[in-house]
Amino acid sequence: MSLREKDLGKGPACTTMKSLSNYLWSDHPDEKKWADCTHCGMCLESCPTYELTGQEQHSPRGRVHLIKSVAEGKLEVNSHFMEPVFACLDCRACTTACPANVDVGGLIEEARGQIRQAMPLKGWKGAVSKVFLQGLFPHQNRLNSLGSFLRFYQKSGMQKVIRKSKLINIMPQHLVEMEAIMPEIQPSVRQKYKNENVIKAKGKTKNEVAFLTGCVMDVMFSDINDSTINVLTRNGNDVSIPQNQTCCGALHVHAGDRDTGRKLAKQNIEAFSGAEKVIVNAAGCGCMLKEYAELFREEEPEWHEKALLFSTKVEDISKYLHDTGFEKPKATINKRVTYHDACHLAHGQGVRNEPRDILLAIPGVEMVHMQNSDRCCGSAGIYNITNPEMAGAVLESKMENVPEDVEMISMGNPGCMLQMAIGVKKYGRNQKVVHTIQLLDWAYQKEDGIEGKDIWQ
Amino acid sequence: MAVKKIKTKDKHIKNLATIVGDASSILYQKVDLLAYECDGFTVYKHSPKAVVFPKNTNEVSALVKYCSDNQLPFLARGAGTGLSGGAIPLNNEVIISLVKMKKLLNVDLENRLAVVQPGYVNLKLTNSISDKGYYYAPDPSSQSCCTIGGNVAENAGGAHCLKYGVTTNHILGLEVVLPNGDIIELSENGILDVPGYDLLGLLTGSEGTLGIVTKITVRILKSPESKQTVLAYFDRVDDGSQAVSDIISAGIVPAALEMMDKTAIEAVESAAFPVGHPRDIAAVLLIEVDGIAAGIDEQINQILEVCKKRNVREVREAKDEQERASWWANRKTGFGAMGAISPDYLVQDGVIPRSKLPEVLKRIEQISQESGLRIANIFHAGDGNLHPLVLFDARIPGETDKAILAGSACLQACADVGGTITGEHGVGIEKREEMRFVFNDEEIIAQTNIREVFNPKNLLNAGKLFPTPGRCGEIKQVMKEATTVS
Amino acid sequence: MIATELLINLESIIPRERIKSGQNQHHHLGNNAQVSVFPTTEEEISLILKYANNHGKKISVMGGGTKRGFGGLTESVDILLSLSLYKGIVEHTVGDMTLTVKAGTTFYELQEYLAKHKQKVSLDPTWPEYSTIGGIVVANENGPKRLGYGSSRDVVIGLRNIYPDGSIIRSGGKVVKNVAGYDMNKIFIGSMGTLGVVSEVTVKLRPVAKYESLILISFKEGSIDEILMFSKALLDSVMEPVALELLSPTLSEKLTGQCTFTVAISFEDVESSVHYQEKFVKGIQPSGTEMDILSESEAQYFWHLFYTICPNGAKESAGEETEAALKIGVVNLNVLSIIKESQLLQDSYNLVVESHGGLGHGLCQVILKGSSQKVVLAIRQMRETVLKLDGYLVVKHLPFELRQKVDVWGGKPSHFFLLEGIKSKIDPQKILNPKRFIGGI
Repeated sequence: MSLREKDLGKGPACTTMKSLSNYLWSDHPDEKKWADCTHCGMCLESCPTYELTGQEQHSPRGRVHLIKSVAEGKLEVNSHFMEPVFACLDCRACTTACPANVDVGGLIEEARGQIRQAMPLKGWKGAVSKVFLQGLFPHQNRLNSLGSFLRFYQKSGMQKVIRKSKLINIMPQHLVEMEAIMPEIQPSVRQKYKNENVIKAKGKTKNEVAFLTGCVMDVMFSDINDSTINVLTRNGNDVSIPQNQTCCGALHVHAGDRDTGRKLAKQNIEAFSGAEKVIVNAAGCGCMLKEYAELFREEEPEWHEKALLFSTKVEDISKYLHDTGFEKPKATINKRVTYHDACHLAHGQGVRNEPRDILLAIPGVEMVHMQNSDRCCGSAGIYNITNPEMAGAVLESKMENVPEDVEMISMGNPGCMLQMAIGVKKYGRNQKVVHTIQLLDWAYQKEDGIEGKDIWQ
Repeated sequence: MAVKKIKTKDKHIKNLATIVGDASSILYQKVDLLAYECDGFTVYKHSPKAVVFPKNTNEVSALVKYCSDNQLPFLARGAGTGLSGGAIPLNNEVIISLVKMKKLLNVDLENRLAVVQPGYVNLKLTNSISDKGYYYAPDPSSQSCCTIGGNVAENAGGAHCLKYGVTTNHILGLEVVLPNGDIIELSENGILDVPGYDLLGLLTGSEGTLGIVTKITVRILKSPESKQTVLAYFDRVDDGSQAVSDIISAGIVPAALEMMDKTAIEAVESAAFPVGHPRDIAAVLLIEVDGIAAGIDEQINQILEVCKKRNVREVREAKDEQERASWWANRKTGFGAMGAISPDYLVQDGVIPRSKLPEVLKRIEQISQESGLRIANIFHAGDGNLHPLVLFDARIPGETDKAILAGSACLQACADVGGTITGEHGVGIEKREEMRFVFNDEEIIAQTNIREVFNPKNLLNAGKLFPTPGRCGEIKQVMKEATTVS
Repeated sequence: MIATELLINLESIIPRERIKSGQNQHHHLGNNAQVSVFPTTEEEISLILKYANNHGKKISVMGGGTKRGFGGLTESVDILLSLSLYKGIVEHTVGDMTLTVKAGTTFYELQEYLAKHKQKVSLDPTWPEYSTIGGIVVANENGPKRLGYGSSRDVVIGLRNIYPDGSIIRSGGKVVKNVAGYDMNKIFIGSMGTLGVVSEVTVKLRPVAKYESLILISFKEGSIDEILMFSKALLDSVMEPVALELLSPTLSEKLTGQCTFTVAISFEDVESSVHYQEKFVKGIQPSGTEMDILSESEAQYFWHLFYTICPNGAKESAGEETEAALKIGVVNLNVLSIIKESQLLQDSYNLVVESHGGLGHGLCQVILKGSSQKVVLAIRQMRETVLKLDGYLVVKHLPFELRQKVDVWGGKPSHFFLLEGIKSKIDPQKILNPKRFIGGI
């Protein structure tokens, strides 16, 4: 090693660093991010994969150590390196636990970028990744078609037929579980409001906001998007839905596809360029939007500044309502509710109390504390599709923490909602999984005398 | 998670895998082992031969027996948060990781004891009994992650051991696998003073060189009726440390009495859990008093009197449990927070008679100036347990060496005033040579003689704890490599 | 004559006036020697040990002699090494709350000295006027206040030990936290002087409590269940008694005049806190019991008396009755069964049996007086009871002759080879307190 140190002294630092490092592709993991790690181990217990495996290569400090080792030339970017890096849920709990604020999540995403450049995905995983990440999410029209298909699948009786027949058994178990909890698909809000530039506030306009509808959210949970718009307009916000917006790119970046990530980022930055505030109701998307600048550290640095500016506009719906004030509903919703902290809300954006305060503002809601409420549920983007076993184990330990006697589990992220719904079904529980904003909207609706939500009873 | 197959020709790896049942309970490939090349002490690194994850005492015993019979060096590891390098596999050891033995086996509130497996995390014990009003007293700063097995090995301390004692004062019984694979029980039911030499006390703090602990009976305590916590800010370090000395000699036994200096305050305020300490202050004392509510105010008032006499600038009392918790989070993450102001740090652990605080802190300041390295101080002032944190940048050639020397000089300063070189972190690899500051050759041999009784082949965690006279050259070589690697 | 040779050799080490020979060779408690020496320096101790080690002489070590009846299967050895003249404070930094003292200092002298500084060693051994700090540590002696303050293993932070080869081995240090090397203090504490001679002890001190009181609750009905319920309630509260001791009716009568099962609760803290805790206890006082709250001076007198109930080995001659003292360790709440059983033994064997045990720490002391035959039978029965509870029984005091019949320590543990190994590393010639400890160590 001492030889290497001598080498270091000779040439310009950057070129020798490159010769040492085994990161051979562009967009390197950021040395500054691991420099703060002192290997103290305070992250260990926060990590779901360490909790399950007990193995340090599956722990945050272990992963940081490995990522650093590649840069130091002690390790190569290969499938052995890939396993621990891709087993990370990217839940960011370690970032919260870390005394030195090491951005482990950022490092993981950057390392994944290197791995994907070194070893493009092949086989089934490659196909899934391609279909979803490149073929589907970035394309609004295809998403809409999928939505229409799923609606047809549910309404036409096809779902019943498939479920009854043995046909469903050809799917892997975790996909069967997912199919089983698929929410009732409604038309997306982007289609619904495609001819309206601005959805006016009810009453006096206090603020103007732009709304990111999200890709999965708008197909699978368009009712939550509806609720979000209702809640925003009720509280004096004019809401616009910029038509050029696209998928946030979080799933791509999590999967190491940083090129697509950048492409989507640029499109969104432009689409929302006229907005003062960008409201997001999906924690994963919000977190990604806030971190766009990370994508342009090395590549296309001319976008870095714009991305930073953009990130200051992004706000989670719960925090926005909390900070700007919202009308306390008068109708009572008598439910025992527990709150699950979505990783990308609590750890990613530091939003913890705001959603709880909103829930507490609804008359009749009784909050029940969930142990380890900020523990990942295992959804983690498409982690539950790519790493079903680990995701299942994480979910199991999450469900153990859900109090027995609650009627609803509230949260602020669609991925979590799907995963928790799987959990509820799989472990024979009977809680309803809801979005925080949905609950607030229902309270408003009840107050207004709108009928039809069995949830109120 | 999926069933793996062993892909190696090494027969030892195959045999070890057979003992633990399957290939997912053993690591042997380079990338996996790399994560085990050091613990919380990162100056030295060395790769293990393999890492095995036994699930019960019998598996530990079988692994140990196999290693012993085949002359394979081995050592035990918990969460790997140790700060003296006790779990670093210097001799290419087989690491026996105890993190899968993490059950809470029994809680007996009436008799105030709990039985845990070694991989059980310290804080989980308190969390699991706090609703009934009980807790486990030893609280090392890493308590949210470190294991009780590791605490036993290191005789871990913590902020509250000023009043409640360190780990050894709370261990009632141990099940131990000896280095030949034999399983022994020491005070199985947690009964005090069992006849015979106090092996319980000897094993606690033996840094994993006498045996591997596989089951631990600990004492649990009733949570105090009331707690009050104050922060006292001083413009001069001297005043702060005099205040500490005065509090102790006034006959007050605070539950905790912690101190941070200006550099440390800069770090914790720049890191993840800032609480708004004034940045221009020279020292802050974190003082906690607990006990019967009726007596708390009197003690706090007495402490405030003392602080006033020592020119305290400002005193804050914790408003509520939330504020108290935030102060402790700020303090307990202090070491890691150094990452925010320095790429590397080396933490020392000297202890001095409390009345020598002002003198030794001045000496440490001198050492800092002489070495050109910043030294932050975060420490258990009430115990006289100093934690000078030497800040350095390992990427600058020669700076690691400088830091090691400065750290050693701090320990010499502690030893010179009748103190010792380690109060809770252990000797490990780090302070082997510094053992000579406090013990002569005869005294060191007296200790290695005891090791021979338990660990005659010295296969278990060799090269730790004691200076090795015959291998001086070798050690220097290792040190050299270590400093250039990191 | 061997004895003469021994004398001559010792005289070259230590002045003649501090050597005594031929006295009490047949002490009823044994642990005697041909020659007694009274060193006043560490060097003398070291030379004596070295001499004995080189010449195969056996040594019995003694402080105040209160534990002369504690273990030992040899009636008389070569040299009785008395530390009674090796006394005095070595170092006391008031502000550090630590103190180093020579082993032969009596506990009373030590506490008297410390009281001037409002400090104390938080141990509560029997016969403080006679017991030396060295003897207390080496025999691991403590009393009811262990609940609040721990024992020697919690209080001792450093020792100077003189090994049989004459070398001086320090363990621990003079700071309150120390993990440098093995915690060697621990193996010397309670080692019954079989591993070396402790010459100096460094302890951490505590402030003398600003106020103390003692509550005595006598359970008239003698209902063990009621005592259990009460103890559980108190232990599960946030009160902080420094002692929670159950006294047998016989002992209670001796100390308080009330022949009932009595629970003694000691509080030490600032006055307001002590009174608050007294009030709490009043609040949970079981019906049908009588409560007496002793003021500070009354409490101190009670404890003074309490520490004299155990037979004192320093007494020169045996009384007419055989006296025995037992130390019994069980899981905390099993103390009730032990104290109850001791009261039964009194009736079945026609003995006087006084006993007490700590409900918060599980250690009991049982004192038996009567005919030697009955005492032996009673000890055996008690040991059976204790073993059924997975506890242990150690005979702390018994005449030498009876120690041949009753195993002082109980059987050997399965890890006995480790104890033997430690002994043979330190004292390979087995010169120190031979056969005084467990398994004939």
